[in-house]
Amino acid sequence: MMRRREVAKRVFAYELLRSTHQIESEGLRYVLTPTGERVNRIFSVAVLLDKEEIGADTNNWRLRLADPTGTFYATVGKFQPEALEAINEMNVPELVAIVGKPRVFEGVSRKLISIRPENIVAVDLSVRDYWVLETARRTLERIEAMEKREGEDVELAWTVYDPDLNEYREMVKKALLTVKEDVEIMEKLEESPHEDEPEEEFDFEEFEFEEEEFDLTDLLED
Amino acid sequence: MSRAEKLTDQILERIKGKDVKVKREDILRRMKLLIEEFKVPESEAVRTIMNYLVREYGIPREELFDRDSPLVKIADISKVNQWVSLRAKVVQLWDSNSPNVSQVGLIGDETGIVKFVVWAKASQPEVEEGKSYIFRNVVTDSFQGRMQINVTRTSRIEEIDEDIQLPPREIEVVGSMVAIQQNSGLVKRCNECGRVLNKGVCHQHGKVEGYDDLRIKAVIDDGENVYEIILNEENIKELTGIGLDEALKIAHETLDRNAVLAELKNMLLGRYFRVKGLRGGRYLLVKEISVHKPKADDFNEILEALA
Ligand SMILES: [Zn+2]
Repeated sequence: MMRRREVAKRVFAYELLRSTHQIESEGLRYVLTPTGERVNRIFSVAVLLDKEEIGADTNNWRLRLADPTGTFYATVGKFQPEALEAINEMNVPELVAIVGKPRVFEGVSRKLISIRPENIVAVDLSVRDYWVLETARRTLERIEAMEKREGEDVELAWTVYDPDLNEYREMVKKALLTVKEDVEIMEKLEESPHEDEPEEEFDFEEFEFEEEEFDLTDLLED
Repeated sequence: MSRAEKLTDQILERIKGKDVKVKREDILRRMKLLIEEFKVPESEAVRTIMNYLVREYGIPREELFDRDSPLVKIADISKVNQWVSLRAKVVQLWDSNSPNVSQVGLIGDETGIVKFVVWAKASQPEVEEGKSYIFRNVVTDSFQGRMQINVTRTSRIEEIDEDIQLPPREIEVVGSMVAIQQNSGLVKRCNECGRVLNKGVCHQHGKVEGYDDLRIKAVIDDGENVYEIILNEENIKELTGIGLDEALKIAHETLDRNAVLAELKNMLLGRYFRVKGLRGGRYLLVKEISVHKPKADDFNEILEALA
């Protein structure tokens, strides 16, 4: 029987980093986040800060990524061929959209979360801006559900994490403010493309030239 | 009108238009005899007369006995194993990878859209997207919790000269393109039926040369639902600037047809799109698609709510 494709959830790095509880259900693995989201697949837009090959010529990469709320890790290997191909060709830093599966590992002193990307692709700022907007919306919806204590996963999140919801509200606010200014500038630019673009002045002082070489009068007359 | 007369006329109705001359008095006389004099049950009387027609007038048995299932609307289909007839338009056909299936897709009328499957064993004529038909004697079924229609050997598909209107089930979603599925990019289609070839093979028509086309099967994910969509050449060109000609050029220059898909993935994956389309069965049928960007007001709205 065909299984319905799992939806890619929107979660900020700040919340993702604090997600340590895994749920197994009907053969699928989910990570439960502190605001009660059940995540099998994630969609994130972040800056790829660093890519590091784990061991020489292994073609296993550890990626460090950051969104406006925090930094998280992803690992790419041969089982993610599309992402691997993209990573091999990508230079850092680069703004990327990433679809992948979160996994929780037992570290030495604590649990760590990492993403296994299915695909990763360079995108422009407007994608990041919209992602922040929709992730903010989703997170606030979840915070509301937590307050109303709606649903099984919400109850579980309270039990496992007992989160300070104001902390998450603050995080959402911070993310929105970081990006808002950017969006406003883009809007202004689109309305009047040249208004805010000051002509850059060329600094002739540092430039020595021999007049003859730059006399193009002959060319113009031709 | 007497009961005998009524039944006689119903029988005559069945053979109307068929090239046989049957005398009404002849049938009526027999009917009266059977029902009024001999008190035979109606069903037995009808059966006896039908047999008589087959014998005496040479009318093919199946034309008389194969009674068509009632004509129903799609919205009224709710039980499995019901034999029905539908007047419906073929909304969309999609590729089937099962050799048992000849065609699979969606049909719709004014009341709804439903998946339909034409089994290969049914040996039915192929239907085309956008055309309307009467699907006679099809059987209802359910698959993964949804109703579907099976076209079998006893079904009959007749094209009708009428454009059946579909229900307004248009929806609009803003979501990210999180995946582009296999069999996307520069594809080859069967010259006979237009279906996408798999390694040069059409499952209906075998190995054919095929012709080039550009299409994308993608997944749009809005964080709450996933929508599978199919983009045609026109959609793709509008979004990426790459049409069929450019795609062929890329394939030619790189000596790799897959290079087209790689290029399209780079340009489309991870981006947000606003998609307007019809929600039906497996696919969201795209009517409009455009890149989506955020507005400053959207941010202010949430920030105010947060304050
Ligand atoms: Zn074919």
